[in-house]
Amino acid sequence: MKIVGVAACTAGIAHTYLAKEKLVKAAQEAGHIVKIETQGTIGTEDELTAKEITDADVVIIAADISISGRERFKDKKVIQIPTHIAMKSPKALVKKIEAELNAASE
Amino acid sequence: MEELEVKLSELLDETAIDLEMDVQSKHEAIERLTDLLVFNGVIESKATFLEDVYEREAQGLTGIGNGIAIPHGKSAGVQKTSIAIGRSKNGLEWETLDEEPVQTIILFAVKESDKNNFHLKLLAKIAGALADEEVCHQVKNAGSVEEIIRALQEEK
Repeated sequence: MKIVGVAACTAGIAHTYLAKEKLVKAAQEAGHIVKIETQGTIGTEDELTAKEITDADVVIIAADISISGRERFKDKKVIQIPTHIAMKSPKALVKKIEAELNAASE
Repeated sequence: MEELEVKLSELLDETAIDLEMDVQSKHEAIERLTDLLVFNGVIESKATFLEDVYEREAQGLTGIGNGIAIPHGKSAGVQKTSIAIGRSKNGLEWETLDEEPVQTIILFAVKESDKNNFHLKLLAKIAGALADEEVCHQVKNAGSVEEIIRALQEEK
């Protein structure tokens, strides 16, 4: 599965980056291709390309604030969660997404 | 990334690490670490900084599990973006992801007007490193200042 996503938190200092790393690790461990954009104090890093978004099976938005560029995902399946969910149980989240996508394709 | 590796010292002065904090509460721990940064001259207004830290605390939990918390404040009270690290013998009550008490605290003090991407990227990298269970384990169990610095710098 190809996963793209965006992480953003209120302060944009710590949780954004922790959530990103947790999601990347959990997705990679489960054998998926993943890229997570961060929108923090530094600005946007690892910005998703149009192609990456087009190719993605699912978009995870792990954010405590409204993210910029949300319209990029208007035709995609989007899972929106607060950053603490991504930090606390990233593996369960990936499993849940797998299950949802499998159910949708059957 | 290599450049980031060797520059943790830009943010973290060894005198801002106290692995034997004698504190009884979250508030005491944050205050103690703030004092270390005040003493080092990187925080000029303790009151302003603490206010900003607690404002952030109110917005959501900073206990990231594994007995580690990362309180942080972006504040006009900060003169130079810095980190302080403390460990308490007592498990401290804290709002955490795993609802376990906190022993190790990494306090991020961010200068409000910091346009120094380098500092902020370094902080982001440290936060990201803490997503790794192994790094958390090493930080938690580090027996010396050197070990804790090494753990945070490790490339995963």
